[in-house]
Amino acid sequence: MAGIWIYSEDTIIAQQSITLGKELAAAMQQPICALTINEQDAQSLIAAGADKVIVLKGNNSWPESYAAAIAAQAAQAQPDVLFIGGTLRGKDLAAKAAAALKVGLITDAQKVQFVDGALETERMLYGGLAVCTEVLGGMNVITIPPRAYDVPAQDASRSGEIVSVDVQADATMAVGNVCPIVRQGADISVAEKLVCVGRGVGKQEDMKLAEDLAAAMGAEICCTRSVAEDYHWLPNEAYVGLSGQKVKPVIYLSMGVSGQVQHVAGIRDSKLIVAIDTNENAPIFAAADYGIVGDLYQIVPLLTEAIKSKA
Amino acid sequence: MPTIIACYKWVLDEQDIKINPGNLDLDTSRAKSKISDYDRNAIEEAVLQGEKSGAEVASLTFGSGNAKQSLKDALSRGPAKAYWVNDDLANSADAFVTANVLAAALKKIGQYDVILCGEGASDTYAQQVGPRVATLLGIPAITFVSEMKIEGDKVVATRKIGDCTEEVTVPFPVVVTLLPEINKPRIPSLKQVLGAAKKPTTEWSVADLGLTAEETTAKNKVKSVKGFVMSRKNVIYKDGTPADKVASLVASLTKEGVL
Repeated sequence: MAGIWIYSEDTIIAQQSITLGKELAAAMQQPICALTINEQDAQSLIAAGADKVIVLKGNNSWPESYAAAIAAQAAQAQPDVLFIGGTLRGKDLAAKAAAALKVGLITDAQKVQFVDGALETERMLYGGLAVCTEVLGGMNVITIPPRAYDVPAQDASRSGEIVSVDVQADATMAVGNVCPIVRQGADISVAEKLVCVGRGVGKQEDMKLAEDLAAAMGAEICCTRSVAEDYHWLPNEAYVGLSGQKVKPVIYLSMGVSGQVQHVAGIRDSKLIVAIDTNENAPIFAAADYGIVGDLYQIVPLLTEAIKSKA
Repeated sequence: MPTIIACYKWVLDEQDIKINPGNLDLDTSRAKSKISDYDRNAIEEAVLQGEKSGAEVASLTFGSGNAKQSLKDALSRGPAKAYWVNDDLANSADAFVTANVLAAALKKIGQYDVILCGEGASDTYAQQVGPRVATLLGIPAITFVSEMKIEGDKVVATRKIGDCTEEVTVPFPVVVTLLPEINKPRIPSLKQVLGAAKKPTTEWSVADLGLTAEETTAKNKVKSVKGFVMSRKNVIYKDGTPADKVASLVASLTKEGVL
Protein backbone atom coordinates (compact mmCIF):
# COMPACT_ATOMS: atom_id res chain seq x y z
CA MET A 1 0.00 0.00 0.00
CA ALA A 2 1.25 3.42 -0.78
CA GLY A 3 0.23 6.94 -1.36
CA ILE A 4 -2.29 9.60 -0.48
CA TRP A 5 -4.66 9.94 -3.42
CA ILE A 6 -6.77 12.98 -4.12
CA TYR A 7 -9.52 13.48 -6.65
CA SER A 8 -12.14 16.07 -7.40
CA GLU A 9 -13.87 17.01 -10.63
CA ASP A 10 -13.36 20.56 -9.39
CA THR A 11 -9.65 21.46 -9.43
CA ILE A 12 -9.99 24.15 -6.74
CA ILE A 13 -11.51 21.58 -4.37
CA ALA A 14 -8.79 19.07 -5.28
CA GLN A 15 -6.23 21.72 -4.32
CA GLN A 16 -8.00 22.29 -0.99
CA SER A 17 -7.71 18.57 -0.28
CA ILE A 18 -4.00 18.74 -1.14
CA THR A 19 -3.64 21.04 1.89
CA LEU A 20 -4.92 18.18 4.05
CA GLY A 21 -2.82 15.72 2.07
CA LYS A 22 0.33 17.71 2.85
CA GLU A 23 -0.49 17.71 6.58
CA LEU A 24 -0.74 13.93 6.49
CA ALA A 25 2.10 13.27 4.05
CA ALA A 26 4.72 14.25 6.60
CA ALA A 27 3.32 11.93 9.28
CA MET A 28 2.54 9.07 6.90
CA GLN A 29 5.71 9.45 4.86
CA GLN A 30 3.72 8.94 1.72
CA PRO A 31 3.68 10.80 -1.59
CA ILE A 32 0.58 12.69 -2.78
CA CYS A 33 -0.96 11.62 -6.06
CA ALA A 34 -3.77 13.67 -7.57
CA LEU A 35 -6.16 12.32 -10.17
CA THR A 36 -7.93 14.61 -12.56
CA ILE A 37 -10.17 14.56 -15.58
CA ASN A 38 -9.09 18.12 -16.42
CA GLU A 39 -5.81 17.64 -18.28
CA GLN A 40 -5.08 21.36 -18.46
CA ASP A 41 -5.04 21.55 -14.63
CA ALA A 42 -2.41 18.85 -14.05
CA GLN A 43 0.45 21.31 -13.66
CA SER A 44 -1.46 23.39 -11.10
CA LEU A 45 -2.01 20.29 -8.96
CA ILE A 46 1.76 19.68 -8.96
CA ALA A 47 2.34 23.33 -8.07
CA ALA A 48 -0.18 22.98 -5.22
CA GLY A 49 1.78 20.08 -3.74
CA ALA A 50 0.99 16.84 -5.58
CA ASP A 51 4.02 14.64 -6.25
CA LYS A 52 2.31 12.92 -9.15
CA VAL A 53 -0.79 13.53 -11.26
CA ILE A 54 -2.76 10.88 -13.11
CA VAL A 55 -4.82 12.38 -15.92
CA LEU A 56 -7.82 10.22 -16.73
CA LYS A 57 -8.65 10.49 -20.40
CA GLY A 58 -12.05 9.19 -21.36
CA ASN A 59 -14.67 10.12 -23.88
CA ASN A 60 -17.31 11.30 -21.40
CA SER A 61 -17.61 14.80 -19.98
CA TRP A 62 -19.88 13.65 -17.14
CA PRO A 63 -17.65 13.41 -14.03
CA GLU A 64 -19.65 10.64 -12.29
CA SER A 65 -18.92 8.28 -15.17
CA TYR A 66 -15.29 7.96 -14.01
CA ALA A 67 -16.08 6.12 -10.75
CA ALA A 68 -15.18 2.67 -12.08
CA ALA A 69 -12.05 4.00 -13.78
CA ILE A 70 -10.82 5.65 -10.58
CA ALA A 71 -11.60 2.50 -8.61
CA ALA A 72 -9.61 0.43 -11.12
CA GLN A 73 -6.60 2.73 -10.77
CA ALA A 74 -6.79 2.52 -6.97
CA ALA A 75 -7.25 -1.25 -7.03
CA GLN A 76 -3.98 -1.51 -8.94
CA ALA A 77 -1.90 0.98 -6.95
CA GLN A 78 -3.48 0.33 -3.52
CA PRO A 79 -3.12 3.81 -2.01
CA ASP A 80 -3.54 4.18 1.77
CA VAL A 81 -6.40 6.56 1.28
CA LEU A 82 -8.40 8.17 -1.50
CA PHE A 83 -9.70 11.65 -0.69
CA ILE A 84 -12.55 12.83 -2.87
CA GLY A 85 -13.88 16.39 -2.92
CA GLY A 86 -17.28 16.26 -1.23
CA THR A 87 -19.41 17.94 -3.89
CA LEU A 88 -22.60 16.03 -4.68
CA ARG A 89 -20.94 14.72 -7.86
CA GLY A 90 -17.97 13.71 -5.74
CA LYS A 91 -20.12 11.89 -3.19
CA ASP A 92 -21.87 9.94 -5.94
CA LEU A 93 -18.52 8.93 -7.42
CA ALA A 94 -17.01 8.17 -3.99
CA ALA A 95 -19.79 5.72 -3.08
CA LYS A 96 -19.54 3.92 -6.41
CA ALA A 97 -15.74 3.74 -6.20
CA ALA A 98 -15.83 2.50 -2.58
CA ALA A 99 -18.34 -0.21 -3.52
CA ALA A 100 -16.20 -1.32 -6.45
CA LEU A 101 -13.10 -1.38 -4.25
CA LYS A 102 -14.96 -3.10 -1.40
CA VAL A 103 -13.61 -0.54 1.05
CA GLY A 104 -15.03 1.83 3.65
CA LEU A 105 -16.14 5.35 2.87
CA ILE A 106 -16.14 8.15 5.41
CA THR A 107 -18.54 10.87 4.23
CA ASP A 108 -17.71 14.50 5.02
CA ALA A 109 -14.84 13.91 7.41
CA GLN A 110 -14.41 16.96 9.60
CA LYS A 111 -11.05 15.92 10.88
CA VAL A 112 -8.50 13.46 9.55
CA GLN A 113 -5.40 12.57 11.56
CA PHE A 114 -2.68 9.97 11.47
CA VAL A 115 -2.50 8.44 14.95
CA ASP A 116 -0.41 5.42 15.96
CA GLY A 117 0.06 4.24 12.42
CA ALA A 118 -3.57 4.51 11.37
CA LEU A 119 -5.87 7.17 9.98
CA GLU A 120 -8.48 8.47 12.37
CA THR A 121 -11.51 10.45 11.25
CA GLU A 122 -14.26 12.46 12.86
CA ARG A 123 -17.69 12.96 11.36
CA MET A 124 -21.18 14.03 12.39
CA LEU A 125 -23.94 11.68 13.51
CA TYR A 126 -27.61 12.23 14.27
CA GLY A 127 -27.91 15.42 12.30
CA GLY A 128 -24.98 17.06 14.06
CA LEU A 129 -25.89 16.04 17.61
CA ALA A 130 -22.88 13.76 17.97
CA VAL A 131 -19.37 13.20 16.64
CA CYS A 132 -18.20 9.74 15.64
CA THR A 133 -14.48 9.00 15.77
CA GLU A 134 -13.35 6.03 13.70
CA VAL A 135 -10.04 4.25 13.29
CA LEU A 136 -9.73 3.20 9.68
CA GLY A 137 -8.79 -0.34 8.78
CA GLY A 138 -7.04 -0.53 5.44
CA MET A 139 -7.68 1.58 2.39
CA ASN A 140 -10.66 3.93 2.70
CA VAL A 141 -12.33 6.54 0.58
CA ILE A 142 -12.95 9.81 2.45
CA THR A 143 -14.96 12.75 1.16
CA ILE A 144 -13.83 16.18 2.26
CA PRO A 145 -16.38 19.01 2.34
CA PRO A 146 -15.62 21.84 -0.09
CA ARG A 147 -13.83 24.82 1.50
CA ALA A 148 -12.85 22.83 4.58
CA TYR A 149 -9.21 23.63 3.78
CA ASP A 150 -7.57 26.61 2.13
CA VAL A 151 -6.11 26.34 -1.34
CA PRO A 152 -2.33 25.97 -0.96
CA ALA A 153 -0.04 28.57 -2.48
CA GLN A 154 1.11 27.63 -5.97
CA ASP A 155 4.81 26.83 -6.13
CA ALA A 156 5.72 26.94 -9.81
CA SER A 157 9.17 25.53 -9.11
CA ARG A 158 7.78 22.18 -7.97
CA SER A 159 8.04 19.37 -10.43
CA GLY A 160 6.31 16.04 -10.56
CA GLU A 161 5.35 13.22 -12.81
CA ILE A 162 2.24 13.65 -14.97
CA VAL A 163 0.84 10.43 -16.39
CA SER A 164 -2.06 10.16 -18.81
CA VAL A 165 -4.20 7.05 -18.73
CA ASP A 166 -6.86 6.18 -21.28
CA VAL A 167 -9.91 4.96 -19.42
CA GLN A 168 -13.33 3.66 -20.28
CA ALA A 169 -16.00 5.97 -18.89
CA ASP A 170 -19.37 4.50 -17.99
CA ALA A 171 -21.90 5.28 -20.74
CA THR A 172 -25.09 3.75 -19.33
CA MET A 173 -26.58 7.11 -18.44
CA ALA A 174 -27.84 9.63 -20.99
CA VAL A 175 -27.29 13.07 -19.50
CA GLY A 176 -28.75 16.20 -21.02
CA ASN A 177 -30.47 19.47 -20.32
CA VAL A 178 -27.77 20.71 -17.99
CA CYS A 179 -29.06 24.01 -16.58
CA PRO A 180 -27.29 26.27 -14.16
CA ILE A 181 -29.45 27.06 -11.14
CA VAL A 182 -30.07 30.78 -11.32
CA ARG A 183 -29.74 32.11 -7.84
CA GLN A 184 -31.99 34.83 -6.57
CA GLY A 185 -29.40 36.87 -4.74
CA ALA A 186 -25.91 35.87 -3.78
CA ASP A 187 -24.50 32.42 -3.07
CA ILE A 188 -25.14 32.11 0.66
CA SER A 189 -22.50 29.41 1.06
CA VAL A 190 -19.79 32.05 0.62
CA ALA A 191 -21.64 35.08 2.06
CA GLU A 192 -19.80 37.09 4.72
CA LYS A 193 -22.95 38.12 6.57
CA LEU A 194 -26.27 36.29 6.79
CA VAL A 195 -29.70 36.98 8.20
CA CYS A 196 -31.65 33.76 8.66
CA VAL A 197 -35.43 33.56 8.72
CA GLY A 198 -37.22 30.83 10.66
CA ARG A 199 -40.81 29.90 11.34
CA GLY A 200 -41.07 32.50 14.08
CA VAL A 201 -41.70 34.89 11.20
CA GLY A 202 -45.43 34.44 10.81
CA LYS A 203 -46.31 35.74 7.37
CA GLN A 204 -44.58 36.09 4.03
CA GLU A 205 -45.16 39.88 4.15
CA ASP A 206 -43.00 39.97 7.27
CA MET A 207 -39.98 38.90 5.22
CA LYS A 208 -39.68 42.67 4.82
CA LEU A 209 -38.32 42.77 8.40
CA ALA A 210 -35.50 40.45 7.39
CA GLU A 211 -34.88 42.30 4.15
CA ASP A 212 -34.59 45.64 5.94
CA LEU A 213 -32.22 44.23 8.55
CA ALA A 214 -30.14 42.50 5.89
CA ALA A 215 -29.94 45.73 3.90
CA ALA A 216 -28.78 47.63 6.99
CA MET A 217 -26.13 44.99 7.77
CA GLY A 218 -25.08 44.41 4.17
CA ALA A 219 -26.10 40.77 4.63
CA GLU A 220 -27.70 38.12 2.45
CA ILE A 221 -30.87 36.31 3.47
CA CYS A 222 -31.15 32.59 4.14
CA CYS A 223 -33.74 30.47 5.91
CA THR A 224 -34.59 27.20 7.62
CA ARG A 225 -35.74 24.16 5.68
CA SER A 226 -39.46 24.61 6.32
CA VAL A 227 -39.44 28.25 5.21
CA ALA A 228 -38.15 27.08 1.81
CA GLU A 229 -39.68 23.63 1.43
CA ASP A 230 -43.06 24.05 3.12
CA TYR A 231 -43.75 27.75 2.64
CA HIS A 232 -41.69 28.54 -0.48
CA TRP A 233 -40.90 32.06 0.75
CA LEU A 234 -37.34 31.57 -0.46
CA PRO A 235 -35.91 29.11 -3.02
CA ASN A 236 -34.60 25.75 -1.85
CA GLU A 237 -31.05 26.98 -2.47
CA ALA A 238 -31.53 29.45 0.38
CA TYR A 239 -32.08 26.97 3.17
CA VAL A 240 -29.31 26.17 5.59
CA GLY A 241 -28.81 22.83 7.26
CA LEU A 242 -27.68 19.26 6.99
CA SER A 243 -29.43 18.60 3.69
CA GLY A 244 -29.18 22.24 2.58
CA GLN A 245 -26.37 24.76 2.44
CA LYS A 246 -23.46 24.81 4.86
CA VAL A 247 -22.50 28.37 5.61
CA LYS A 248 -19.47 29.96 7.23
CA PRO A 249 -20.12 33.69 7.47
CA VAL A 250 -18.42 36.15 9.80
CA ILE A 251 -21.83 36.81 11.33
CA TYR A 252 -24.99 34.72 11.15
CA LEU A 253 -28.04 36.37 12.71
CA SER A 254 -31.25 34.37 13.04
CA MET A 255 -34.76 35.56 13.70
CA GLY A 256 -37.48 33.17 14.76
CA VAL A 257 -35.23 30.13 14.29
CA SER A 258 -35.66 27.46 16.97
CA GLY A 259 -32.36 25.76 16.12
CA GLN A 260 -33.02 22.09 15.40
CA VAL A 261 -29.81 20.07 15.24
CA GLN A 262 -30.03 19.69 11.47
CA HIS A 263 -30.12 23.47 11.07
CA VAL A 264 -27.31 24.06 13.55
CA ALA A 265 -25.21 21.53 11.61
CA GLY A 266 -25.29 23.96 8.68
CA ILE A 267 -24.20 27.03 10.69
CA ARG A 268 -21.60 25.58 13.01
CA ASP A 269 -18.69 27.02 11.04
CA SER A 270 -20.03 30.57 11.41
CA LYS A 271 -17.61 32.85 13.20
CA LEU A 272 -20.33 34.53 15.26
CA ILE A 273 -23.87 33.25 15.79
CA VAL A 274 -26.57 35.67 16.94
CA ALA A 275 -30.15 34.61 17.69
CA ILE A 276 -33.43 36.43 18.24
CA ASP A 277 -36.37 34.33 19.39
CA THR A 278 -39.25 34.50 21.85
CA ASN A 279 -38.61 31.08 23.35
CA GLU A 280 -35.89 31.30 25.98
CA ASN A 281 -35.46 27.53 25.84
CA ALA A 282 -35.02 27.33 22.07
CA PRO A 283 -31.89 25.27 21.28
CA ILE A 284 -30.58 28.07 19.05
CA PHE A 285 -29.51 30.00 22.18
CA ALA A 286 -27.18 27.18 23.22
CA ALA A 287 -25.54 27.49 19.81
CA ALA A 288 -25.38 31.28 19.91
CA ASP A 289 -22.65 33.70 20.87
CA TYR A 290 -25.16 36.47 21.45
CA GLY A 291 -28.90 36.47 21.62
CA ILE A 292 -32.01 38.35 22.52
CA VAL A 293 -35.00 36.64 24.05
CA GLY A 294 -37.90 38.69 22.78
CA ASP A 295 -40.52 39.29 20.16
CA LEU A 296 -38.77 39.60 16.83
CA TYR A 297 -41.49 41.98 15.63
CA GLN A 298 -40.32 44.44 18.29
CA ILE A 299 -36.63 43.63 18.33
CA VAL A 300 -35.79 43.46 14.63
CA PRO A 301 -37.06 46.94 13.61
CA LEU A 302 -35.21 48.47 16.57
CA LEU A 303 -32.06 46.57 15.64
CA THR A 304 -32.35 47.67 12.02
CA GLU A 305 -32.64 51.30 13.07
CA ALA A 306 -29.77 51.02 15.54
CA ILE A 307 -27.47 49.56 12.88
CA LYS A 308 -28.54 52.16 10.33
CA SER A 309 -27.84 55.00 12.74
CA LYS A 310 -24.36 53.61 13.42
CA ALA A 311 -23.42 53.71 9.77
CA MET B 1 -45.66 -4.42 -14.91
CA PRO B 2 -42.58 -2.84 -13.36
CA THR B 3 -41.53 -3.45 -9.78
CA ILE B 4 -40.50 -0.55 -7.56
CA ILE B 5 -38.73 -1.21 -4.28
CA ALA B 6 -38.29 1.52 -1.69
CA CYS B 7 -35.44 0.95 0.78
CA TYR B 8 -35.58 2.49 4.22
CA LYS B 9 -33.65 2.50 7.48
CA TRP B 10 -35.23 2.23 10.92
CA VAL B 11 -33.30 4.79 12.98
CA LEU B 12 -33.35 6.37 16.42
CA ASP B 13 -35.19 9.65 16.49
CA GLU B 14 -32.39 12.14 17.13
CA GLN B 15 -34.85 14.46 18.91
CA ASP B 16 -35.08 11.93 21.75
CA ILE B 17 -31.35 11.47 22.24
CA LYS B 18 -29.92 13.22 25.27
CA ILE B 19 -26.29 14.08 25.89
CA ASN B 20 -24.86 13.36 29.30
CA PRO B 21 -23.26 16.71 30.22
CA GLY B 22 -20.45 15.09 32.22
CA ASN B 23 -18.82 12.62 29.83
CA LEU B 24 -20.74 13.62 26.66
CA ASP B 25 -22.02 10.07 26.23
CA LEU B 26 -25.27 9.70 24.35
CA ASP B 27 -28.31 8.57 26.29
CA THR B 28 -30.55 6.74 23.84
CA SER B 29 -32.57 4.94 26.53
CA ARG B 30 -35.65 7.06 25.88
CA ALA B 31 -35.22 7.37 22.14
CA LYS B 32 -38.01 6.10 19.97
CA SER B 33 -37.33 4.84 16.48
CA LYS B 34 -38.65 6.11 13.18
CA ILE B 35 -38.34 5.53 9.48
CA SER B 36 -35.43 7.74 8.48
CA ASP B 37 -36.88 11.08 7.32
CA TYR B 38 -35.42 11.00 3.83
CA ASP B 39 -36.48 7.39 3.34
CA ARG B 40 -40.09 8.44 3.92
CA ASN B 41 -39.68 10.45 0.72
CA ALA B 42 -38.47 7.26 -0.98
CA ILE B 43 -41.52 5.28 0.12
CA GLU B 44 -43.85 8.12 -0.88
CA GLU B 45 -42.26 8.45 -4.32
CA ALA B 46 -42.44 4.69 -4.87
CA VAL B 47 -46.14 4.76 -4.10
CA LEU B 48 -46.79 7.83 -6.26
CA GLN B 49 -44.90 6.28 -9.18
CA GLY B 50 -46.76 3.02 -8.62
CA GLU B 51 -50.09 4.83 -8.82
CA LYS B 52 -49.03 6.46 -12.10
CA SER B 53 -47.41 3.48 -13.82
CA GLY B 54 -49.32 0.56 -12.31
CA ALA B 55 -46.06 -0.75 -10.90
CA GLU B 56 -46.01 -3.12 -7.97
CA VAL B 57 -44.48 -1.41 -4.93
CA ALA B 58 -42.62 -3.11 -2.09
CA SER B 59 -40.50 -1.86 0.80
CA LEU B 60 -37.19 -3.30 1.97
CA THR B 61 -35.29 -2.76 5.19
CA PHE B 62 -32.33 -4.22 7.02
CA GLY B 63 -32.74 -3.90 10.77
CA SER B 64 -32.54 -5.76 14.05
CA GLY B 65 -35.56 -7.14 15.90
CA ASN B 66 -36.88 -3.73 16.89
CA ALA B 67 -37.40 -2.90 13.22
CA LYS B 68 -40.43 -5.21 13.27
CA GLN B 69 -42.64 -2.25 14.18
CA SER B 70 -41.35 -0.42 11.11
CA LEU B 71 -43.07 -2.85 8.74
CA LYS B 72 -46.56 -1.68 9.62
CA ASP B 73 -45.44 1.95 9.47
CA ALA B 74 -43.94 1.42 6.02
CA LEU B 75 -46.92 -0.55 4.70
CA SER B 76 -49.42 2.04 5.96
CA ARG B 77 -47.68 4.48 3.63
CA GLY B 78 -48.79 2.48 0.59
CA PRO B 79 -46.47 -0.38 -0.51
CA ALA B 80 -48.23 -3.69 -1.21
CA LYS B 81 -45.66 -5.80 0.62
CA ALA B 82 -42.63 -5.51 2.85
CA TYR B 83 -39.28 -7.31 2.97
CA TRP B 84 -37.26 -7.30 6.18
CA VAL B 85 -33.77 -8.62 6.68
CA ASN B 86 -33.97 -9.16 10.43
CA ASP B 87 -30.53 -9.47 11.99
CA ASP B 88 -28.63 -8.01 14.94
CA LEU B 89 -25.80 -7.45 12.51
CA ALA B 90 -27.69 -4.26 11.57
CA ASN B 91 -26.64 -2.71 14.88
CA SER B 92 -22.96 -2.81 13.97
CA ALA B 93 -23.23 -2.57 10.19
CA ASP B 94 -21.57 0.24 8.29
CA ALA B 95 -22.64 1.35 4.82
CA PHE B 96 -20.39 -1.30 3.23
CA VAL B 97 -22.19 -4.11 5.09
CA THR B 98 -25.65 -2.54 4.69
CA ALA B 99 -25.19 -2.22 0.95
CA ASN B 100 -23.99 -5.83 0.71
CA VAL B 101 -27.06 -7.02 2.63
CA LEU B 102 -29.54 -4.90 0.65
CA ALA B 103 -28.01 -5.92 -2.69
CA ALA B 104 -28.16 -9.59 -1.70
CA ALA B 105 -31.78 -9.19 -0.56
CA LEU B 106 -32.69 -7.51 -3.85
CA LYS B 107 -31.10 -10.40 -5.74
CA LYS B 108 -33.13 -12.81 -3.63
CA ILE B 109 -36.32 -10.84 -4.33
CA GLY B 110 -35.30 -11.34 -7.93
CA GLN B 111 -37.36 -8.64 -9.54
CA TYR B 112 -36.58 -4.95 -9.35
CA ASP B 113 -36.88 -2.26 -11.98
CA VAL B 114 -36.61 0.88 -9.90
CA ILE B 115 -34.98 0.90 -6.47
CA LEU B 116 -35.61 4.09 -4.50
CA CYS B 117 -33.55 5.34 -1.55
CA GLY B 118 -33.40 8.57 0.41
CA GLU B 119 -30.31 10.68 -0.26
CA GLY B 120 -28.94 9.72 3.13
CA ALA B 121 -30.02 8.27 6.48
CA SER B 122 -31.04 10.72 9.18
CA ASP B 123 -28.66 9.13 11.71
CA THR B 124 -25.43 8.66 9.74
CA TYR B 125 -26.23 10.78 6.68
CA ALA B 126 -23.43 8.95 4.90
CA GLN B 127 -25.15 9.27 1.52
CA GLN B 128 -23.65 6.14 0.08
CA VAL B 129 -25.86 3.08 0.43
CA GLY B 130 -27.92 3.83 -2.71
CA PRO B 131 -25.03 4.19 -5.16
CA ARG B 132 -23.18 1.34 -3.44
CA VAL B 133 -26.16 -0.98 -3.96
CA ALA B 134 -26.30 0.03 -7.63
CA THR B 135 -22.61 -0.75 -8.11
CA LEU B 136 -22.97 -4.12 -6.39
CA LEU B 137 -25.93 -5.00 -8.62
CA GLY B 138 -24.06 -3.73 -11.68
CA ILE B 139 -26.76 -1.20 -12.51
CA PRO B 140 -26.68 2.62 -12.74
CA ALA B 141 -27.55 4.98 -9.90
CA ILE B 142 -29.15 8.36 -10.38
CA THR B 143 -28.40 10.37 -7.27
CA PHE B 144 -29.77 13.60 -5.74
CA VAL B 145 -33.01 13.56 -7.73
CA SER B 146 -35.53 16.37 -7.33
CA GLU B 147 -38.06 15.13 -9.92
CA MET B 148 -38.60 11.82 -11.67
CA LYS B 149 -40.97 10.05 -14.01
CA ILE B 150 -41.22 6.59 -15.45
CA GLU B 151 -41.55 6.46 -19.23
CA GLY B 152 -42.06 2.92 -20.48
CA ASP B 153 -39.02 1.01 -19.27
CA LYS B 154 -36.94 4.08 -18.50
CA VAL B 155 -36.54 6.51 -15.64
CA VAL B 156 -36.20 10.17 -16.57
CA ALA B 157 -34.93 12.14 -13.60
CA THR B 158 -33.79 15.64 -12.79
CA ARG B 159 -30.72 15.74 -10.58
CA LYS B 160 -29.92 18.79 -8.55
CA ILE B 161 -26.21 18.98 -7.93
CA GLY B 162 -24.96 22.15 -6.35
CA ASP B 163 -25.01 24.85 -8.92
CA CYS B 164 -26.83 23.07 -11.73
CA THR B 165 -29.58 20.65 -12.60
CA GLU B 166 -29.33 17.96 -15.23
CA GLU B 167 -31.75 15.53 -16.77
CA VAL B 168 -30.75 11.87 -16.82
CA THR B 169 -32.44 9.07 -18.73
CA VAL B 170 -31.66 5.49 -17.78
CA PRO B 171 -33.31 2.19 -18.77
CA PHE B 172 -34.43 -0.23 -16.01
CA PRO B 173 -33.15 -1.50 -13.68
CA VAL B 174 -31.86 1.54 -11.82
CA VAL B 175 -31.28 2.88 -8.32
CA VAL B 176 -32.59 6.40 -7.72
CA THR B 177 -31.71 8.43 -4.60
CA LEU B 178 -34.10 11.24 -3.79
CA LEU B 179 -33.78 14.72 -2.39
CA PRO B 180 -36.35 15.52 0.31
CA GLU B 181 -37.90 18.25 -1.84
CA ILE B 182 -39.27 15.66 -4.29
CA ASN B 183 -42.52 15.13 -2.38
CA LYS B 184 -44.35 15.50 0.91
CA PRO B 185 -44.70 12.09 2.57
CA ARG B 186 -48.31 11.35 3.44
CA ILE B 187 -49.56 10.93 6.98
CA PRO B 188 -51.23 7.50 6.90
CA SER B 189 -54.95 7.47 7.65
CA LEU B 190 -56.44 5.16 10.24
CA LYS B 191 -57.79 2.99 7.43
CA GLN B 192 -54.32 2.73 5.88
CA VAL B 193 -52.80 1.86 9.25
CA LEU B 194 -55.38 -0.88 9.81
CA GLY B 195 -55.00 -2.10 6.24
CA ALA B 196 -51.22 -2.39 6.69
CA ALA B 197 -51.64 -5.24 9.16
CA LYS B 198 -53.17 -7.39 6.41
CA LYS B 199 -50.39 -6.88 3.87
CA PRO B 200 -47.82 -9.65 3.33
CA THR B 201 -44.34 -9.40 4.84
CA THR B 202 -41.28 -11.52 4.13
CA GLU B 203 -38.56 -11.96 6.74
CA TRP B 204 -35.03 -13.21 6.17
CA SER B 205 -31.91 -13.33 8.29
CA VAL B 206 -28.49 -12.40 6.94
CA ALA B 207 -27.62 -16.11 6.87
CA ASP B 208 -30.37 -16.62 4.27
CA LEU B 209 -28.56 -14.29 1.88
CA GLY B 210 -25.36 -16.28 1.36
CA LEU B 211 -22.90 -13.49 2.17
CA THR B 212 -19.29 -14.15 3.15
CA ALA B 213 -17.78 -13.19 6.51
CA GLU B 214 -15.83 -10.42 4.81
CA GLU B 215 -18.98 -8.99 3.28
CA THR B 216 -20.65 -8.80 6.67
CA THR B 217 -17.76 -7.23 8.58
CA ALA B 218 -17.68 -3.46 9.04
CA LYS B 219 -14.56 -1.84 7.61
CA ASN B 220 -13.61 0.59 10.35
CA LYS B 221 -13.54 0.60 14.12
CA VAL B 222 -15.73 3.09 15.92
CA LYS B 223 -13.52 4.54 18.63
CA SER B 224 -16.10 6.81 20.22
CA VAL B 225 -19.45 8.49 19.74
CA LYS B 226 -19.73 11.65 21.79
CA GLY B 227 -22.17 14.53 21.97
CA PHE B 228 -21.07 17.49 19.92
CA VAL B 229 -20.51 20.61 21.94
CA MET B 230 -20.01 23.91 20.26
CA SER B 231 -18.14 26.31 22.37
CA ARG B 232 -19.97 29.59 22.01
CA LYS B 233 -20.13 32.68 24.18
CA ASN B 234 -23.82 32.23 25.06
CA VAL B 235 -24.36 35.86 26.04
CA ILE B 236 -28.15 36.08 25.96
CA TYR B 237 -30.01 39.30 26.74
CA LYS B 238 -33.30 38.39 28.38
CA ASP B 239 -34.18 41.25 30.70
CA GLY B 240 -35.08 44.86 30.17
CA THR B 241 -37.03 46.68 27.52
CA PRO B 242 -36.64 45.72 23.85
CA ALA B 243 -34.64 48.93 23.37
CA ASP B 244 -32.26 47.99 26.22
CA LYS B 245 -31.69 44.54 24.79
CA VAL B 246 -31.07 45.87 21.30
CA ALA B 247 -28.61 48.45 22.68
CA SER B 248 -26.71 45.70 24.54
CA LEU B 249 -26.58 43.51 21.46
CA VAL B 250 -25.43 46.33 19.19
CA ALA B 251 -22.70 47.21 21.70
CA SER B 252 -21.51 43.58 21.78
CA LEU B 253 -21.54 43.20 18.01
CA THR B 254 -19.71 46.49 17.60
CA LYS B 255 -17.04 45.24 19.97
CA GLU B 256 -16.76 42.06 17.91
CA GLY B 257 -16.26 44.22 14.85
CA VAL B 258 -18.92 42.50 12.78
CA LEU B 259 -21.30 45.38 12.11
